[in-house]
Amino acid sequence: MSDVNNDIVLEIKDIHKSFDKLEVLQGIDITVERGEVVAVIGPSGGGKSTLLRCATTLEKVDSGKIVIGGDVLCDDVDGHSVYCDKKLEREIRSKFGLVFQNFNLFPHFSVRRNITEALIHVHKKSKEEADAICDGLLKKMDLEAKADEYPCNLSGGQQQRVSIARALATNPEIIFFDEPTSALDPELTKGVLTVIKELAQEKMTMVIVTHEMSFARDVADRIVFMDGGVIVEEGPAYELVTNPKQERTKAFLAGY
Amino acid sequence: MEGTNQAIQTMVATLRQLTQGFGLSLAIFGLTLLFSIPLGLLICKGRMSKITVVSLLCRLYISVLRGTPLMLQLLLVYFGPYYVFRVSLGNDYRFIATIIAFSLNYAAYFAEIFRGGIQSMSKGQYEAATVLGFSKAQTYFKIILPQVIKRVLPSVSNEIITLVKDTSLAQVLSVAEMFTRASAAASKQVSVMPFIVAGLFYYLMNLLIEFILNRVEKSMSYYS
Ligand SMILES: Nc1ncnc2c1ncn2[C@@H]1O[C@H](COP(=O)(O)OP(=O)(O)O)[C@@H](O)[C@H]1O
Ligand SMILES: [Mg+2]
Repeated sequence: MSDVNNDIVLEIKDIHKSFDKLEVLQGIDITVERGEVVAVIGPSGGGKSTLLRCATTLEKVDSGKIVIGGDVLCDDVDGHSVYCDKKLEREIRSKFGLVFQNFNLFPHFSVRRNITEALIHVHKKSKEEADAICDGLLKKMDLEAKADEYPCNLSGGQQQRVSIARALATNPEIIFFDEPTSALDPELTKGVLTVIKELAQEKMTMVIVTHEMSFARDVADRIVFMDGGVIVEEGPAYELVTNPKQERTKAFLAGY
Repeated sequence: MEGTNQAIQTMVATLRQLTQGFGLSLAIFGLTLLFSIPLGLLICKGRMSKITVVSLLCRLYISVLRGTPLMLQLLLVYFGPYYVFRVSLGNDYRFIATIIAFSLNYAAYFAEIFRGGIQSMSKGQYEAATVLGFSKAQTYFKIILPQVIKRVLPSVSNEIITLVKDTSLAQVLSVAEMFTRASAAASKQVSVMPFIVAGLFYYLMNLLIEFILNRVEKSMSYYS
């Protein structure tokens, strides 16, 4: 454990991932410190979602190392990733949250149950504790009145805020967002971005894939520009957006 | 006067016979549902298995059981043991064979209905559950199955209503269910009356079932 830095929440080292013949991640390195907000930008098909899916155990990498909250999810042995056992994997899952582009709320559960179900049945909290956590989060998301509604009766923006509350409920060390506002109408985007901005102010560690450039520039500490399965450029958010070094980054940003 | 009296007596006798037979029809109906639904789930699981042999066998099962007449299956299950193994299984076996054949047959239909329901679930539901730390069993029973039940309910209702009518096929094994008795009464009385009464029984039974299933469907309509 001596080489584990307590202030590093996510460490991704030279990960490769192929689908059949297509190498979607071609050696990605990312380190995220506690309290840091990292935005990942880049053209579609560049591997951003795959990167998040690998970090959140939804896909397995072919080679490379992933460490989350000090626990080694997978480590490289002779050019192949070896994963930890199922027990540790489940433990690691409680250390992060993931917010999907299309929310993936459970439609048959009320808003409250969407948020409390994992608290009660995975984290073994009492119903009262879970409800208290849920109420606090709904207040924060400005959704106090919606606890007993079903997702189908909420707007897209409200659904996404519920899904953020669901991800926050288990008190994760880091939250990943995969284009959290891409499925939303422009007028609904604002509320969701505001919530994420507040989380950033509270020093929540976050990795956010987004196409909202001004949001990335203003809220993220650091931006990573990904294209063709590699990190083309990364740097302090404001600097990367206003003064990109690489041609590909310039070309991409010129589209915004 | 004499004629009317006799007609009423015949009618009462017919009703009594059919009512007795109806109990057996209900038993076939109930037991078939009891066995075919879990068996259907199992075959559905097998059909979606990554193990090719299992998947192929389940496909073959579904294809054959859906592709041949239930009446033929009833006869095979009943006479099979005798012709193949030369064993005689006694009179009770008529009823047992009926339940076996019905369950095997309906399981094939249910398997395909369940498969349709499970495959219509988005990958995102599994992924959200996984990331939240739910185990495979929790994901299946808390997240997937409740939604699948809602989705398959209309198709399952169809099968249930068909099953009520199909119980009459047990006649080929001379199981004394309602239809067998109606046939006997009809030929004895040289009258179609017993058939009409039997038809009424089936219809009333299905009216009740429809009513119940509509209630169930409504109870699940709180989300879409
Ligand atoms: N499950 C998969 N099977 C095959 N190819 C995939 C799969 N997931 C993603 N890809 C491919 O990987 C590439 C990167 O996709 P993705 O990570 O979704 O990019 P981004 O999120 O940056 O748009 C695309 O070419 C995509 O078609
Ligand atoms: Mg994507």
